Amino acid sequence: MDLLRYLRYFLVVAEELHFGRAAVRLHMSQPPLSQSIQRLERELGVRLFDRDARRVALTDAGRQLLPEARDVLAGEDRLRGLAERFRRGEAGVLRAGVPPDLGGRAVAALLPAFRERSPVELKLREIGTAEQLRALADRTLDVGVLRLPFDVSWLSLGEVLTSPLGVLLRPDHPLAAAPDVRLADLNGLGLVLFPRAAAPALHDEVLTTCARHGYTPTEVHQAGTAEFALGLVLAGGAVALHDGVSPPADVAWRPLRGTPLLWRTAPAWPRGRHTPAVTAFADAVAEVLVARGMRPAEGTLPRYPRPAAEYLS
Amino acid sequence: MSAARIRAAFADAGVTGRLHAVDLADPTRQVAVGADEPVVLASVFKLPLLVALYRSGIDLTRRVTLDPGDRSTGPTGIGGLLDPVTMSLRDLAFLAITVSDNAAADALVDVVGLDEVNRVLRDLGLTRTAVVHRARDFMRSLAEDAAPAELPAALTDPVVLSRLRALDPTRTNRGTAREMTSLLTHVFAEDVYEPIRRAMSLQVWPHRLASGFPFDDVRVAGKTGTLPTVRNEVGVVSYPDGGRYAVAVFTRSASTAFTLPAADAVIGTAARLAVEHLR
Repeated sequence: MDLLRYLRYFLVVAEELHFGRAAVRLHMSQPPLSQSIQRLERELGVRLFDRDARRVALTDAGRQLLPEARDVLAGEDRLRGLAERFRRGEAGVLRAGVPPDLGGRAVAALLPAFRERSPVELKLREIGTAEQLRALADRTLDVGVLRLPFDVSWLSLGEVLTSPLGVLLRPDHPLAAAPDVRLADLNGLGLVLFPRAAAPALHDEVLTTCARHGYTPTEVHQAGTAEFALGLVLAGGAVALHDGVSPPADVAWRPLRGTPLLWRTAPAWPRGRHTPAVTAFADAVAEVLVARGMRPAEGTLPRYPRPAAEYLS
Repeated sequence: MSAARIRAAFADAGVTGRLHAVDLADPTRQVAVGADEPVVLASVFKLPLLVALYRSGIDLTRRVTLDPGDRSTGPTGIGGLLDPVTMSLRDLAFLAITVSDNAAADALVDVVGLDEVNRVLRDLGLTRTAVVHRARDFMRSLAEDAAPAELPAALTDPVVLSRLRALDPTRTNRGTAREMTSLLTHVFAEDVYEPIRRAMSLQVWPHRLASGFPFDDVRVAGKTGTLPTVRNEVGVVSYPDGGRYAVAVFTRSASTAFTLPAADAVIGTAARLAVEHLR
């Protein structure tokens, strides 16, 4: 039986002690209400009301069961309320990924920025773009902060923010004497980059852009950590890319003239799995990254579209 | 295992790839990588269109005139010409395959009808393949969805790409890698489709499927499909010993660059890994 419904009838009749008035409150007629109370009494195996021609009164059992019925119905209210909060994205946990090179300060700022916007508990994991994509696909992550490019065919993106890149040079390198560096000036030097397997598309895009601006590195060193990259720069003969936000102290950071190279970063989540908490996270990410000097991507894409066979004419 | 090597090749080229390959002599021998995932067909839709055309019984020597004012545009074939063209239906079919001519293909849709194309697909048991619009419709939807940004530059913006209907397999011409090899198996089994096979073997593009088989005695008959970040080709690879393999490869690149040789070439690389496994 639909116990909750019958308990609700029980509650109203107990409050009114009058079947006619109770039926009016329940928007039903009196006979089905009487039958319902009888069914509940059969179900529970006790009489809840003493009724005669003149009055209705709670039995001893009815009196004792009444607070229990109230508790059960209040429990239902709490259950539905909590479910509603989940539905509106006001409760639960948001599992989010951030790239390892986002920086400790950005992560520290992200937590309070999110807390201001959402009551949901935020669980951050520090993982790279490729791994975040896998985690988003197998649903162990709700939202990520990813470095472009990646296959967006199944994802929705938040605002894309960019950080212009410069290079880390040995302080005694002649190029460090100038306020900025042209990519073509770097010919004859190697380039320290993240391991290609970590993000093949971005790796190739960086090298293509370098070539487009006249720089073909003598060698491409793959460095998994910032420390190792720094070591290769200090050893001489190579430069590393860096966004210029608190660069290491013992090397010189110089911007690239004309900002040919950018890191592009965006929050992303699987299409159709958008919640208010995801919006809150995407907004918090934008706030934190903009505070770190990143800028909206619009109009800054260093792109040279040209007709491609089959669809552009 | 070949599936793992194929996945690694896709990842190395910066693409998400779906592949299905089958030995035409023994259909139980297959290689599948995401073969049942829905994919965007792009110009591969011209293959089911032609299958419907050649089954229709329409007189294909009938000549039609395509006027520049109302025919579809495109970078190749009649789509790129300036003046009226009068041509037989079967020659339009030839151009629709060999140079992926959008004007020719859309003129054939006008003759066959999309309902008929979909009826044929259902007849062939291809329940997850659907052709819901013509080439000019997805060109128009690209411009609509990209707005207010301007084409073609907008097509390198990942946020714009994530909202294009033309790139969403639930809202555009779609299929699966496995269903496309089924279609190829059908095309390579029936005499009536000989003109389609001929056109596929004369397709001009060597940079995808064919690039995986740089052997002068191995033939590749294929049909490509291209949209922003989408690079596809389906085709049949024939060896001189009689071995024939239907292969369907559908990719989505991470990079939004239009010129991405590695993403084109991995279609050939992946197909070769699959065919070598089947041989």
